[in-house]
Amino acid sequence: MNSPSLTLSRGIARVTESALGPYQSAVIRIGFSATWLLFLLREFTHRQELYGPDGPWGWDMARQLTDDNHAFTALMWSDGQAWFEVFYLLAMLAAVALLLGWRTRTASVLFMVGVLSLQNRSVFVGDGGDNVLHLMSLYLVFTRCGQVWSLDARRAARAEAARARGERLRPDRVGVLLWAVLGLALAGVTLAGRFDNGRLVPALLWTVWVVLGLWGAVQRWARSPEPRILLDVVANVVHNAALLVIMAEACLIYSTAGWYKIQGSRWQDGTAVYYPLHLDYFSPWPALADLMSASGTIMMVVAYGTVMVQVAFPFTLFNRRVKNVLLVLMMTEHAVIAVVLGLPFFSLAMITADAVFLPTSFLLLLGTVAARAWGRLSRRGPGDGPALPSPRSPQDSTAGHVGFTA
Amino acid sequence: MDAYDEDSHARGGPDGAKGASHPDRDPEGDAGTGPGSGPKGGVSSGSGSGPEPGAGSGQEERAGSGGPRPGSGAEREPLAAAPDAPAADAADAVDVRDAGPPDQAPLPSPRTGVAALSPRYQTVAALALAVVAVAACVHLAMVFLSVAPANTVTKQHGRAIEDWVYPEFEQNWKLFAPNPLQQNIAVQARAEVRMKDGGVRTTGWTDLSARDGAAIDGNLVPSHTQQNELRRAWDFFVATHTADNRPVALRGSLSEQYVRRIVVMRLYRDDPTSREGVIQRVQVRSSTTNVQPPKWSPERVSDKPVYRLLPWWTVSSDEAAGGVR
Repeated sequence: MNSPSLTLSRGIARVTESALGPYQSAVIRIGFSATWLLFLLREFTHRQELYGPDGPWGWDMARQLTDDNHAFTALMWSDGQAWFEVFYLLAMLAAVALLLGWRTRTASVLFMVGVLSLQNRSVFVGDGGDNVLHLMSLYLVFTRCGQVWSLDARRAARAEAARARGERLRPDRVGVLLWAVLGLALAGVTLAGRFDNGRLVPALLWTVWVVLGLWGAVQRWARSPEPRILLDVVANVVHNAALLVIMAEACLIYSTAGWYKIQGSRWQDGTAVYYPLHLDYFSPWPALADLMSASGTIMMVVAYGTVMVQVAFPFTLFNRRVKNVLLVLMMTEHAVIAVVLGLPFFSLAMITADAVFLPTSFLLLLGTVAARAWGRLSRRGPGDGPALPSPRSPQDSTAGHVGFTA
Repeated sequence: MDAYDEDSHARGGPDGAKGASHPDRDPEGDAGTGPGSGPKGGVSSGSGSGPEPGAGSGQEERAGSGGPRPGSGAEREPLAAAPDAPAADAADAVDVRDAGPPDQAPLPSPRTGVAALSPRYQTVAALALAVVAVAACVHLAMVFLSVAPANTVTKQHGRAIEDWVYPEFEQNWKLFAPNPLQQNIAVQARAEVRMKDGGVRTTGWTDLSARDGAAIDGNLVPSHTQQNELRRAWDFFVATHTADNRPVALRGSLSEQYVRRIVVMRLYRDDPTSREGVIQRVQVRSSTTNVQPPKWSPERVSDKPVYRLLPWWTVSSDEAAGGVR
């Protein structure tokens, strides 16, 4: 076998036999769902003004716009107050479920429905942070982001342990019930003609539902292991492709931001950073902004540094060390932006997007630290801490689950 | 600085912020070509097949693979090896995609993944791999072209790109670029209010943006109602109106209604006169003031505000009565 074909077959083996980056996909799952959850909590008292049927961007206006651009929003299914209130709560619940990794695939779909529905309902109140969440909520649906740091992983590990002790596994009633309820809901919505505006999201919802059913059926009834392995392979391939898309999207964000800045005279003369700091809408701390922009030299360094980092970032992915240095710089800059420009949710979303590039060793360390902190906080026995299962997929029968009790 | 800034761009041209870019697409308000049409179907069907590991008794899914897994030890022992998974993953995934559909050659360690399958199943897996790889590449290409500057390809295939990207994958990352906004744009409003005694009073100008600014001051978590609502509504209005304030198409009239409803809502909240009566008409103006250049810069710009005055708008009864107060 010559070298290129060996590389090819190794590559194929790699993307088919496992869902890569389990910790990276888990950390973005947690990050994006937490960002959205915190946002919904922050705006809870403003929910009517932002997304309610009687808000300034009224329900009828939203319908005229979505009829025209075919954006998906479940809030157009009814103009009733009750539906809006229930939906807002459901969107928060879906975010919690995804955060915890409870029925992760289903939760990710519901999370996406929540994000798209609220944002598309009132597209003119969003900002860059909403845009990031919008895209990532779609991409997350395709990932196996609950392999670690999730309730699913804990459940899988417990079942594994039970099986190792020779106990019989109980059928997963909750999963079946959840699937049936969602199927009824999908059928109801489809029959009521509410899926007529745009086909992408309805098709996606139905596809996931059908595949989840197929998955469950194959797990339970298939005699040969092959259908199971095939589904697993396809799930891995889809996950790996989605993770690639998420990484490419992050690179695209930085590249676009960087390359367009290069063309701007203010970025060239080094004053660009000064101006946003002095816009009324982006200066919660005017004294701090004045302090930061007191020196022309500092402003120029920050402006040039920002452009360099943004333009360079995608290319540094080929070198671990340089990439990690840039990651630290970008995350720091976003943390500063959160406070100085008053954009906490945008910054949180961007930091999460950056986190997909963090090294596994660092994420493991982070997980251990978090687990210890949680253990101390909750003052429980070691067995009740959050799950830290094996780095492999939880189904991997060869991997030990010792880390699980940390 | 890569905080989002849609406004600098939205104000600069029509192809700006998320919402404001819609006017561009007005002419092709095509009902038939939803984003689900054409090759999109491939995305959905191919990628939808990532099932929940937990659904069903997923623990048996590896039953057939047996034996220890081959491949990089790094993957299995991340604690020891401290690999840099993502970069490597990306590189690998790219390899596969570049290579196109996989062949049926036996893999180095035929234990797991496709290697554990019989040729019939392998064919299906190979097909899935090919479909997913192509879908991911096409998607990335489409998104790339949608954020790239106008070029020979986008001029030729602009419609196909839009059909793919809109509405759900729309994005704009010209963050504070090419130049950041260098003006404070304030929206101000006054109203004609019918009082309880039957008389009509005209209020003074209320600076609604200044109130937003005051609400943001010292605020660690500004609300979208303070930071985005009025600011972006005005961007939307400007992007969908001609210089002489005539609305352009559906979005023009929607933006006018939107600004009016925000203004009425806020006057009822903040303006003492409006609170006592019923608003009959409102007038809106924008006040644009240059941000003064830094002290260390020799540049000088005018500090006089420039106004854009809109005509009086009649407030309909449901606008005057309803809404969120």
